[in-house]
Amino acid sequence: MVKYVFNRILQIIPVVLGITVLVFFIMRMIPGDPAMVMLGQDATPEDIARIRAILGLDRNIFVQLFSYIKNMLMLDFGNSIFLRQPVLEVIKASFPATIELAVTALIISLIIAVPLGIISAVKQNSWVDYTSMAFAQLGISMPVFWTGVLLILLFSVKLGWLPSFGRGESIIEGLKVLVTTGSGEVLLASLKKLILPAASLGIMGSAMISRMIRSTMLEVLDSDYVRTARAKGTVERKVIMKHAFRNALLPVVTIVGLQFGTLLGGSIITESVFAWPGIGRIIVTAISQRDFPLVQGGVIFLATTFAVMNLLVDVLYVVINPKIRH
Amino acid sequence: MKKRILSLVLVVVILVFSAACGKTDSVPQPAEQGSSGTTEYRDTIKIGVDVDPNTLDPRLQTNVTVMRVGELVFSGLVELNEKLEPQPCLAESWEQKDATTLVFHLRKDIKWHDGNSFTAADVKYTYETILDKDFGSAARARYVPIKEILTPDDYTVQFNLSEPYAPILTYMDHKIVPQSAKDNPGFAENPVGTGPYKFVSWSKNSVIKLTANDSYFDGAPATKNIEIYTIPDNTTRVSALEAGDVDFIHSPLSPQDIPRMKQNDKVVVHQTSGLGVTFVNFNHQSEILKDRNVRTGLSYMIDKDTISRDIYQSMDTPANGPILPASWAYSEDIKDNPYDPAKGLQILNDAGWKDTNGDGILDKGGKKLTVKLSTHTEDPNRMQALEFIQNSFASNGIDAPVSTFEWATFSSDLTAGNYDISIVGLLNINDPDRGLYIQFHTGGGQNYGKYSYPELDTLLDKGRSTSDQSERAKIYQQAAQMINDEVMWKTLVFQGYIAMYNKNLEGYTPMPSGQISAMRDAKVKR
Repeated sequence: MVKYVFNRILQIIPVVLGITVLVFFIMRMIPGDPAMVMLGQDATPEDIARIRAILGLDRNIFVQLFSYIKNMLMLDFGNSIFLRQPVLEVIKASFPATIELAVTALIISLIIAVPLGIISAVKQNSWVDYTSMAFAQLGISMPVFWTGVLLILLFSVKLGWLPSFGRGESIIEGLKVLVTTGSGEVLLASLKKLILPAASLGIMGSAMISRMIRSTMLEVLDSDYVRTARAKGTVERKVIMKHAFRNALLPVVTIVGLQFGTLLGGSIITESVFAWPGIGRIIVTAISQRDFPLVQGGVIFLATTFAVMNLLVDVLYVVINPKIRH
Repeated sequence: MKKRILSLVLVVVILVFSAACGKTDSVPQPAEQGSSGTTEYRDTIKIGVDVDPNTLDPRLQTNVTVMRVGELVFSGLVELNEKLEPQPCLAESWEQKDATTLVFHLRKDIKWHDGNSFTAADVKYTYETILDKDFGSAARARYVPIKEILTPDDYTVQFNLSEPYAPILTYMDHKIVPQSAKDNPGFAENPVGTGPYKFVSWSKNSVIKLTANDSYFDGAPATKNIEIYTIPDNTTRVSALEAGDVDFIHSPLSPQDIPRMKQNDKVVVHQTSGLGVTFVNFNHQSEILKDRNVRTGLSYMIDKDTISRDIYQSMDTPANGPILPASWAYSEDIKDNPYDPAKGLQILNDAGWKDTNGDGILDKGGKKLTVKLSTHTEDPNRMQALEFIQNSFASNGIDAPVSTFEWATFSSDLTAGNYDISIVGLLNINDPDRGLYIQFHTGGGQNYGKYSYPELDTLLDKGRSTSDQSERAKIYQQAAQMINDEVMWKTLVFQGYIAMYNKNLEGYTPMPSGQISAMRDAKVKR
């Protein structure tokens, strides 16, 4: 098991390096450069050339790449051209917000998807099944920004229940305050701000997961050992949850892992709609400004998170599937 | 174990639901009801803006929010009023000693937020760093004629120019930073100014908090705190105002939201002509567009009125030329080719462009009349306007493929001259020189179309060297008419400036420039 995990960790290294090289070249291949964006419409070509030289963009592209990788290995991702501060600092400040959003969205996805998937499989072809699958279809089809806008209009503008944008203190900070002072006000304020963006992202995720649970559950419910369990007189609830659901979980775990990656990607849009100060928005702005170091650093971080998440899924797969374990 | 997981899930669900069910009284939030707020007025004004600042150092600004924050935290030597005329600010008076010497006399009672005194050395430091090529200030191009800055005493600054440069006084509204910024690497994130509000904190991509500078030289601000929230999505920003989560938002806004918000009795919608133009740019290097007749023909096929009414919902208004209605140089007498596609087609036919092979597209000497149209993707209204123009061209036998790119790509194509016809915008035209000189003068940095008209160059030079405003107005009107007659570009619309705010916001006067320095006099009734 340890060897397996170690091997998988080793596999992450070429993936991250590959992505680094890819992003590095893509950013430089697309037209437009940071000097031009920095100096604005009034700049002369001479001024632009001068700033390019100061930023080191006039050097040979391979020299730039090797110096970037060399620094990266020492965890130096350079300075953001526009924010004029270390990329690592920018990421450190914004990444927790994205993770908080993606994890909460995943939890919401599961809270919605698991019961929905199981019920629609058990009650196949009933109105419950049709309704829940119609919901899933809607969730998959609705773009996340649209869901976001609808949620804002309903819960913020019409009902006035929840704030329309922004992030409060982190949930961890809120929990800390709750534990140390006994006051839940900070946590509550943070949750109020988190719920709409996480729900709009979570609804999208839940649609995919519930469909997956339904189809794998249907397959498992039809299998011999479930029939045997029923024949033995096992209580139906136990048949479904212990015999069927556990076995149906295997492909679902894979999907959930991949879904987390989608949620990280989807959070870029959600962050813009809800003014959530995460890394997605920073990357989008950085791309439009051609802030090379910031885009590179941000993408490398997201890619590494995704790779680590996949690793965890693989490990989890081994844990819950005795067949692989042996 | 199962029970523990179940209880954890239950706790999360209960917390989430309790959060959802609590009604948010956004106006006012409990945290806002500080001791300094009166029972009648709130102690915090909340503003929603579209982008997060890239810095809080006004010398390095590349977006509008840096300017907006700068208007509250810093001050300039002068401040522009609603007619864009310079008014005393850090400078109590000034004198033009001769055509190339401008002297400012500074106020002596001004302190920086850190308690140090404001002196002429700060002014000298600010403008010298802006002029430093290695510093990378986007504002540099406007100050290039400054040859030397002298400080005869602590409260006098003398600018010696290399040539007469009339707009310099208007440009002296640039915010002044303390010379201590030189030794303070964190200045851009923790700025010290002389403005009505002091910087408190900046949570990136989220909120900037400011608090009143009670010793502001023009009197303490009316409201204790200002919070500036970054809300990138136009729709969310409007929703935040509707929900009462912010008190004030302004352009850029989606034109489609304006009629709806005008119906909202809790909100004031203020609409005025702003400081920007949107124009159709013709590349004079293009073989086809080099011909003035072709440009004139095409100009008659552009329906500015419909574009303004249907695409911009009349937020941006049809333009008669490159001089803004908000400017002292504006004149209604400047004439542009009206929408008359039949006349346009006739002009093209007369110039030899006819559909000789019956394929529906005009041609001349075996060559089709093809012009590529382009704009940038950040502004959906420009993309719609471009498609509308394409449609009009196509129905008159012109092949006009459309392409759109994001700004960085698009602007690099513009600079390199890789386009035929494009829709572009120009902002912050606080002096006609800013909207004409580098755009139309031969070799100008922003002369994308590579125009070169010696007669126009002479006028633009004269506009710079003439100090009398009414004389300058005549010169620029003449230049604008020449630009229209030659169809160097076609000014499409004057960009509107929209401010929407809580109807309980009192004492605020919106400015065409979008500057929010007047927020120092504003307060929000509970």
